[in-house]
Amino acid sequence: MPPAFTSELLRLAGLLVAGAFIGWLYDATALGMLVAALGVLAWHLWNLYRLDLWLRTGELDVVPDGGGAWPPLFARIEYIREKSRRRRKRWRQLVKELRASAGAFPDGGVLLDAGRGIITYNAAAQRLLGLRRNRDRGQRIDNLLRHPDFVAYLESGDYRDPVEIPGPAGGDTWLSCLLIPYGPAQNLLLVRDITANVRLERTRRDFVANASHELRTPLTVISGYLDAMGDDPEAPGGWRMPVSEMRTQAHRMGHLLDDLLQLSRLESGAPCSLDNAVDMAAIAQSARREALAMREHPDRVEVEIGSTTRVLGEQGELHSIVSNLVSNAVRYTPREGSIRIAWTVDADGGHLAVTDTGIGIAEDDIPRVTERFYRTDRGRARQKGGTGLGLAIVKHALRRHEAELEIRSRLGEGSTFTCHFPPHRLAVS
Amino acid sequence: MESERFSHHISRRFNEELEHLRGEVLRMGGMVEQHLDVAVQSLVTGDSEMGLRIAGEDYKINRMEVAIDEECTKILATRSPTAADLRLVVAIIKTITDLERIGDEGRKLAMLSANLAAQKREHDEYHELELLATHVQEMVRDALDAFSRLDAEDALAVVEEDKLVDEQYDAVTRQCITLMMEDPRTIRRFLDVSWAARALERIGDHAKNIAEYVVYLVHGKDIRHVGIQTVRQEIGSG
Repeated sequence: MPPAFTSELLRLAGLLVAGAFIGWLYDATALGMLVAALGVLAWHLWNLYRLDLWLRTGELDVVPDGGGAWPPLFARIEYIREKSRRRRKRWRQLVKELRASAGAFPDGGVLLDAGRGIITYNAAAQRLLGLRRNRDRGQRIDNLLRHPDFVAYLESGDYRDPVEIPGPAGGDTWLSCLLIPYGPAQNLLLVRDITANVRLERTRRDFVANASHELRTPLTVISGYLDAMGDDPEAPGGWRMPVSEMRTQAHRMGHLLDDLLQLSRLESGAPCSLDNAVDMAAIAQSARREALAMREHPDRVEVEIGSTTRVLGEQGELHSIVSNLVSNAVRYTPREGSIRIAWTVDADGGHLAVTDTGIGIAEDDIPRVTERFYRTDRGRARQKGGTGLGLAIVKHALRRHEAELEIRSRLGEGSTFTCHFPPHRLAVS
Repeated sequence: MESERFSHHISRRFNEELEHLRGEVLRMGGMVEQHLDVAVQSLVTGDSEMGLRIAGEDYKINRMEVAIDEECTKILATRSPTAADLRLVVAIIKTITDLERIGDEGRKLAMLSANLAAQKREHDEYHELELLATHVQEMVRDALDAFSRLDAEDALAVVEEDKLVDEQYDAVTRQCITLMMEDPRTIRRFLDVSWAARALERIGDHAKNIAEYVVYLVHGKDIRHVGIQTVRQEIGSG
């Protein structure tokens, strides 16, 4: 037992004895003890009252000194209070610093609760999302950021890739929003201003489109004269070779410009409409005919149609997808090899596969072959007459159909290019 | 914070229903905003494909209107809401009608944009129209933001904006008339421009209506056809 309590007990006993003695003098021992006990009780109550007052008002100058067991108790409480006060100050400082650093962050950050309500946000988020200082807490983020793409992103539950939406403040700003779930039911929404990137990308696209367009007119003139010169029987014999070579190259340049134009058109497009149902079997057949019409082609070009289901999309673009894949296959498959075009439909959607027994693609190159002008072996593709844009066109045309390209290949054994169309892109027949 | 207004019900389901309903209205608003944005973009960039595509997606907005309407009827029938809840449901029923109209006007605008995009034009001729479009888009956004935040002050600001839109509309019309008189060959084209301006002006009116419903929702005062000064006084005293 702490010494304060021992002395308190002794004091109580002493007072009782004193009370009893004074009571005995007046012949009322019990009453004397009662008065003494009541006095002790009143004194304790008084101290209790002061303790309560002190704790409630929290003013230092009324720290009660009391007596007996009280002073150590008060000191202890005061110590705990001081400690927690200091800790709170430290926390406040820390929160302030964190908030300041979050405020200095160039990207917007919004903390969201499970119901998508806004918990807090930094200065950049306020600026980018048009939120109001401290007044938008508790609002649901999708009530303020209403763009359908963003809402669909929130509802998708797949937050691996950010979603790009126009800024709510208007004026051609673009934002990239990424939701990062953390903790049991909290989310951090990262918002980045990508206006500059979007504009740069747009400028690049416009430049390519305009340049290709402008180059076509002079090229048409050059080709025209070359054709005339090539067909002229009176032309000097020494010119025949160079003119013919120039014609081939001009032809190739024309193809290149066509591809560039097509690519820039595909790149800028949103998903294409679901209005037309396109017959994939017919497209596969026509791609086969094109393959057989090429100057050098493998002996066997087969078409396998496993379904008559049609794809909802653009006839021209779907045709360009298949014919690009098939002409690639033809270009890289030797005469004794074979090519197979297959169209099948299952629960996952539609699959168009072009399989060849050609030279194949090295594993490291597979992720990069859909890049513009990417060549696994410089020189060879040029010999074979490709523009280097075929697979890029395929990729972008597929994206417009919400489809994906899967490439499987092994060097020396051949490749399979499969286009996977999602079920909602298939015509219900 | 604002959602606490509706959180005093014993039935948690009812709260959720009301919050969900509010969310749905704003979702519909978001779609309307997007359609309007694409229609204006199509006008600015002269991209007719974009305009036609969005004009064909108007049915989504209509479908949402029907769904929300149905949900409102269900709440009225099963929950018999009173006071602020009743005002919310009534305001929503009115708001979605105006949103749907904005969608219709947006569709009209998209068609006109596609039309205009197909015709030859001088550079910068539609500058005034673009300014009007930007202004109207801001109004729609602010009206929906006010609805989302239940902020009557913001809503009143939108109501006041409508006057400016009317002035801008007049300016575009005057400009069209001048240009038509200068060269009668352009009449056809500028008729389209004037129709587009008309559609935008109507959208501004609908945005104003939505803002008025917000004031009604927050203060319980119908401020239609009342001067803005009177409204401010009434709200101040009420």
